[in-house]
Amino acid sequence: MTTAVTSVMPKIAPPPPEPAPAEPNYLNINYSLWSWLTTVDHKRIGILYLVSITVFFLAGGIAAGIVRLNLLAPDGAIVSEDAYNRAFTAHGVLMLFFFLIPAVPAVLGNFLIPMMIGAKDLAFPKLNLASWYVFLVGAMFGVWAILAGGIDTGWTLYPPYSSRSSTSNVVPGVFGVFISGFSSIMTGLNIMVTVHKMRAPGMTWGRLPLFVWSLYATSLIQLLGTPVIAITTVLLMVERVAGIGIFDPLIGGDPVLFQHLFWFYSHPAVYIMILPGMGVVSEVLTCFSRKNIFGYHAVAWSSMGIAVVGFMLWAHHMFVAGISFYSALLFSFLSMLVAVPSAIKVFNWTGTLYKGSITFQAPMLFALGFVVLFVIGGLTGLFLATLGTDIHLHDTYFVVAHFHFVMVGGMVLGYMAGLHFWWPKMTGRMYSDWWSRVAAAIIIVGFFLTFVPQFVMGYHGMPRRYPNYPQEFHVYNVMSTAGASILGLGYLLPVFYLTLSLFFGKKATGNPWSATGLEWQSPSPPPLFNFDEAHMPVVVCGPYEYALGIDQMGRGLPEGPGLGSANDPSDKHGESAAPGPMNKETHVVG
Amino acid sequence: MSSDPNQTPATPPGHNDVLGHVDSPPTLIMVWVAVLALFGLTVALSSSGMFGKYTLFVQLAIGTVQAGLVAYHFMHLRHGDRVVVLTALASIFWMGILFVLFMSDYMSRSRVMG
Ligand code: HEM
Ligand SMILES: [Cu+2]
Repeated sequence: MTTAVTSVMPKIAPPPPEPAPAEPNYLNINYSLWSWLTTVDHKRIGILYLVSITVFFLAGGIAAGIVRLNLLAPDGAIVSEDAYNRAFTAHGVLMLFFFLIPAVPAVLGNFLIPMMIGAKDLAFPKLNLASWYVFLVGAMFGVWAILAGGIDTGWTLYPPYSSRSSTSNVVPGVFGVFISGFSSIMTGLNIMVTVHKMRAPGMTWGRLPLFVWSLYATSLIQLLGTPVIAITTVLLMVERVAGIGIFDPLIGGDPVLFQHLFWFYSHPAVYIMILPGMGVVSEVLTCFSRKNIFGYHAVAWSSMGIAVVGFMLWAHHMFVAGISFYSALLFSFLSMLVAVPSAIKVFNWTGTLYKGSITFQAPMLFALGFVVLFVIGGLTGLFLATLGTDIHLHDTYFVVAHFHFVMVGGMVLGYMAGLHFWWPKMTGRMYSDWWSRVAAAIIIVGFFLTFVPQFVMGYHGMPRRYPNYPQEFHVYNVMSTAGASILGLGYLLPVFYLTLSLFFGKKATGNPWSATGLEWQSPSPPPLFNFDEAHMPVVVCGPYEYALGIDQMGRGLPEGPGLGSANDPSDKHGESAAPGPMNKETHVVG
Repeated sequence: MSSDPNQTPATPPGHNDVLGHVDSPPTLIMVWVAVLALFGLTVALSSSGMFGKYTLFVQLAIGTVQAGLVAYHFMHLRHGDRVVVLTALASIFWMGILFVLFMSDYMSRSRVMG
């Protein structure tokens, strides 16, 4: 448990020799487009997802740009009011269903889960490929809906407006959401079975990296929750197309029923979005502070706690929708409960940082940004979950700021942290250290400037989704739009330096950050089946023995290139540098 | 399945292996016909008005039986070991959460506070 480690290190197995670069590796084994489109390799499928969701992130970003630019003037700067509705709906639908939900599970999860647990692939490689195609089919419907003129209901699709009155392309859009849901279920199922059935010898549940635990919890939500949104969207389409009364009160339906069903999925879905980010952060914080995680079991179980409790608080989105007063009290109380596991995580991360040997490479900057912004987002969630304050704040920009703090500040930063952390593993190349740190700084600054003014506006009563506003809100909206342009620039930078790194980046070693996980034990980029067939990994200890300086196979950690960075030429040339094991004396607490 | 790297070559048909006991086509067809017949019954009930205001309950009961048949036969719960059956039951429990919390709204909505 508590091992005081001083500068005198116990004798441990020497660091493994640098694994010979895999010839061939998963990337160069075959270059044809066909080989990519028919691949069943979890790593290639991860890359396919990476490319597709990047496209949707850019498309969603353009929609956001339209929204923010239009809000520059109190009565709409660039587009008509109708087009404004379609822009924010496109933004929400693209970002949520086609970017955030698949972001970490389908890209990093696909790529890393088998490697982290020492397996050759996911349990169902073909199902995995199918999930990508299903995702694309769903996305095509979404794109169709948008290109054909868009949807004007907001991403929440509330009837009776969406089923009776709206003349926009509700059906193809909703159908796209319906289809892409199945891809989410397939990914979740795959990850869950893989974690149960395919762990390497010695990889007990108590030794799983926390990224695996958090994706396991995410998969549970995906499996249980997504079918409900599928049914709900079908009911909505049935009502809209066939006029069968389910939600529309004019024909005997109940609009509040839709909100119940919608949020029964969509509240847990916000945890589909945040839990994977939390997993990434647990990996990155430990690595860049050279410490074991503080309270492994608490962090692992709090993921499961969030997954379970997350299903019991959906109606906090409906406090003013006409639900029963008693029920609202109950849901307000239950919403408070979910803050407990969230806070457990934050405290444990802080405990992990305490007296660590912290270095500030890009993944660490993003991860620290995650922690700070998630705390703000989570705490404002509590304001909203308080019944009385929500009556004032509901449907204002306060809500918009809240969920952007958790989703953009939290999850997108978590995704960036993960992408930067594992990029050398995925591509075999290092990216520019300097530019990546600059990008992290720009993103965090731009983020604050964009969303802090929205808290103020919302508190003073500016409603969300309105294209017009009184003059008093002008200055805040201008600040927010200015921030959004900085944020947009920050997001564009990685597109450039990451792409450039593919061609000009320094070759990455197998374990450039001197990290402990199994995924770092194979060469970068990994060979087709991840590990050398003859030496499949055997796990002997927990995932974060940084203080002892050993990886999960009980061998020493390689010296990171960043050790003693003053005389390290790679540092001066702006390459990424890693902290190395035991950079200075580390005090282990817990 | 040769491209599937996880397939261990010689898996003996264990008790957990669905392929170990394939359901006979007649059984499957009979279950299918039964599910369809129950579907017909639901449709018939909805226009007959036989059970008056209780029609909905009867229909839901029929639906439950249908779902049970599908789970038991088509989804192979029949051959599942304890863990599989427990998992299936857990998902019913989870649906219970949905219904109970739903009802916390619908059943207390008309009460006046204070
Ligand atoms: C500490 C936990 C959290 C609590 C107590 C909480 C509470 C709330 C409440 C009460 C609302 C409804 C506000 C209203 O409409 O009046 C809300 C909205 C929202 N929250 Fe949170 N939240 C939490 C964490 C999160 C996380 C982690 C995410 C996403 C990653 C998230 C995403 C959202 C979204 C997307 C909405 C707005 C949905 C919409 O109406 O479009 N929340 N939150
Ligand atoms: Cu919520």
